[in-house]
Amino acid sequence: MTQQQNVSACGPAVVVHGLKRTYGLRTVIRDLDLRIERGEFVVLLGESGCGKTTLLRALAGLDPIDGGRIEGPSRPAVVFQEHRLLPWDSLWRNVALGLEQNDNRTRASAALAEVGLGDRLDDWPRNLSGGQAQRVALARALVQEPRLLLLDEPFAALDALTRINMQSLVKQLVAEHQPGVLLVTHDVDEAIVLGDRAMVMRNGAIACEFTVSAAARSHRSHPDAIGLRDQLLSELGVGEGQMAA
Amino acid sequence: MPDVSMAVLASPSEQVTVRAGAGAVAQPRRPFTWHQTRFLSWLVPALLVVGWELLARLGKIPPYILPAPSKVVATGIALIQDGTLLPDMGISLLRAAAGFAIGGFIGFAFGTAVGFSRIAGVLLDRTILMLRAIPFLAVLPLVIVWLGIGESAKIFLVAFGVIFPIYMNTVLGIRQVDPKLVELGRVTGLSNWNLVRRIILPGALPSILNGVRYALATAWLALVVAETIAASSGIGFLAMDAREFLRTDVIVLVILIYAVIGVAADSLARLMERRLLAWHPNYATEVQR
Repeated sequence: MTQQQNVSACGPAVVVHGLKRTYGLRTVIRDLDLRIERGEFVVLLGESGCGKTTLLRALAGLDPIDGGRIEGPSRPAVVFQEHRLLPWDSLWRNVALGLEQNDNRTRASAALAEVGLGDRLDDWPRNLSGGQAQRVALARALVQEPRLLLLDEPFAALDALTRINMQSLVKQLVAEHQPGVLLVTHDVDEAIVLGDRAMVMRNGAIACEFTVSAAARSHRSHPDAIGLRDQLLSELGVGEGQMAA
Repeated sequence: MPDVSMAVLASPSEQVTVRAGAGAVAQPRRPFTWHQTRFLSWLVPALLVVGWELLARLGKIPPYILPAPSKVVATGIALIQDGTLLPDMGISLLRAAAGFAIGGFIGFAFGTAVGFSRIAGVLLDRTILMLRAIPFLAVLPLVIVWLGIGESAKIFLVAFGVIFPIYMNTVLGIRQVDPKLVELGRVTGLSNWNLVRRIILPGALPSILNGVRYALATAWLALVVAETIAASSGIGFLAMDAREFLRTDVIVLVILIYAVIGVAADSLARLMERRLLAWHPNYATEVQR
């Protein structure tokens, strides 16, 4: 499954060889290969417990791995399902959390402006709505100019309208910053709107993978999009027949 | 006004109901304004003092049992003027501050070690909890044997009372820091020192400050006891000395000074909470809320 297509000339964002992860006797990830180029948006779908969050945590360096190799940045940026903003720090200090230079406030300010919160530098996180807080979390991830951006269901807790806005914001910012992206989600439509590639994970391995055509990405009702949605749903065990029943 | 826009949207027949409903919900009757509440809350204490003064003046309470408030105030002014009250108060405050600083430092240091390190927790926690089981006033006779009745004995007693509230609340605060935020710190690549500085200590601060408030009360109590039992200076000594001469006015004055300083220390701690925890919804000032 190790593809050699070159999306970007700058080399891959991350390459995974034969990754293995176990909890006690249970193998959660078995012999998994994955390659994400810089600027490539990969979406990982799967039922709960299929190992997709485990994979993301292994890539983030949060959990140890029990076999295989991960060649990637030592410090990818992560956006979690919860915003995880520090309630005791102003927004700009939250965004600058991982920065070590002197012009932190300037850089944080630029990152907050990119997510449309440039006028809230000194505000507290508790004054933000859920969507705004998640935008700050996105700014905190992108301010580090990561080679690899890991998104762990970052839109799951948002309401439907905010989610659509966040999806287009992420799409736009990823196009500008060109990190390699791995997005873990339950949402098939989200996968089609955002992904260059959509993968379905099952029993700790990648069961199948689809390339999302540009037409499917930009038009929800395009035949490509409808076809891909059906394929993904049936791979996830939610076929048309089951939907009707 | 929300009810106006609702009324415009509503059909004419519904208008009346909508207005009435919105008005009833939007303006619940408050019994008192803030000023009225404040006035009423001071009414009972004020009446008590006035009653006390009247009963003393009319001779219903003999002066050697309880002198009139005006007499206590006059004694206070006289003691300040002849230069005995303020130096004694200074000595008492100094003892409390020294004991608080020493006990607070030890409690915080051990609390931080046990909060962070599992090994330190296993090694130290049981011992500290066993020491904590001792009512700190019970060690007083031993302290007098060890250290005599000098300054070190009083400072020791205050410090001993302060260590445990600070220790307990520091450990609790550090252990209660949201592990998801700690995880975020690690993902962001914070060094251990920055993880402590940016995430763990700020997260533990509400609990630590709570310990400080509690410890202030303990320190004050320890000081009163230490000064009452063995002292040759300080306001506690002043009270004991006055007892010899049945000077109840001085004794009542000292009791009131203890009370006022205790309240002042607590207010200071609350001010610190409001300043340092401005981010915290529970501690936000009323204006912000």
